[in-house]
Amino acid sequence: MPDFECRLKKYRQIKDLTQEQLAVQVGVRRETIMRLEKAQYNPSLKLAVDISRAVGAPIEEIFIFK
Amino acid sequence: MKNNKKLIIFFGVFCVLLTIASFLYTAVFNDERFIAPMDMSDYVFRVKDLPVIISCVLLALYVLYIFLLIIKSAITNKNREEDTEFTRTVNPKYGYCGLFGLFGFMGFWTYNLDKTVFPFVFFMFFGFFGFFYEGKMSNTLIDERYKENRIKAQMAADKIAMSVIFIAVLFLGQGKLMGNLEYTLIAFVIVVALSIALKMFLGMYLLYHYDNDGSDGLFDESGE
Repeated sequence: MPDFECRLKKYRQIKDLTQEQLAVQVGVRRETIMRLEKAQYNPSLKLAVDISRAVGAPIEEIFIFK
Repeated sequence: MKNNKKLIIFFGVFCVLLTIASFLYTAVFNDERFIAPMDMSDYVFRVKDLPVIISCVLLALYVLYIFLLIIKSAITNKNREEDTEFTRTVNPKYGYCGLFGLFGFMGFWTYNLDKTVFPFVFFMFFGFFGFFYEGKMSNTLIDERYKENRIKAQMAADKIAMSVIFIAVLFLGQGKLMGNLEYTLIAFVIVVALSIALKMFLGMYLLYHYDNDGSDGLFDESGE
């Protein structure tokens, strides 16, 4: 399993979104966003794309596999 | 829909009353045929048998219809559940229904009394303790992480329950527990009932555990 780093928190804060707001936008629970930010959960491609669109940043910059 | 339900109930009551009436008729006017024990190998049809035969056929058709309705309803509910976005609302207090599992111990008493083993089946009710956890997850948005955790929890629960049954089959399949085949069968009924309860409980417990405490626990299936 490669090391997974998630920079979602940074891009979410740039976009001035709360976890709750982002969760509603992409149709998941706030807890899921929280786990994503802690890199404890690997999102599906669809969720990754939705998040990428919501925060306005490319997927490869939000989710990094080393 | 409401009228349909009323009609179904009406036909049910009608069938039961018709059956009771036909048996009363045969008891009074037809020499208690079909009530008193009779040898069906030398059965000869009488016109007076018709009420009992017709009422029994109607009752059997009604029971069959109800059975089909239950199956249809179960399939529809399952599809509806898959389409919904939120988990169902369950009161965690339903978990206390798990205490009905204690009735399973009555089996030891009834077996000694008249060899009845049916109460052992009540051990399955221990699985209802899972409602404590399902209740805590009531009305939760079913997102992809929840779905993933649910599949993972169900797989782990199935694996554990099947392992228990596998080991039980291996040991009990040898034939005689304490030199008695009946004890073997009783032990088998108990093991299967408890395994079903375990599967029901663990499915909910593990889902709650994965969803709230993370997946790096004792039952982590991912191996990551």
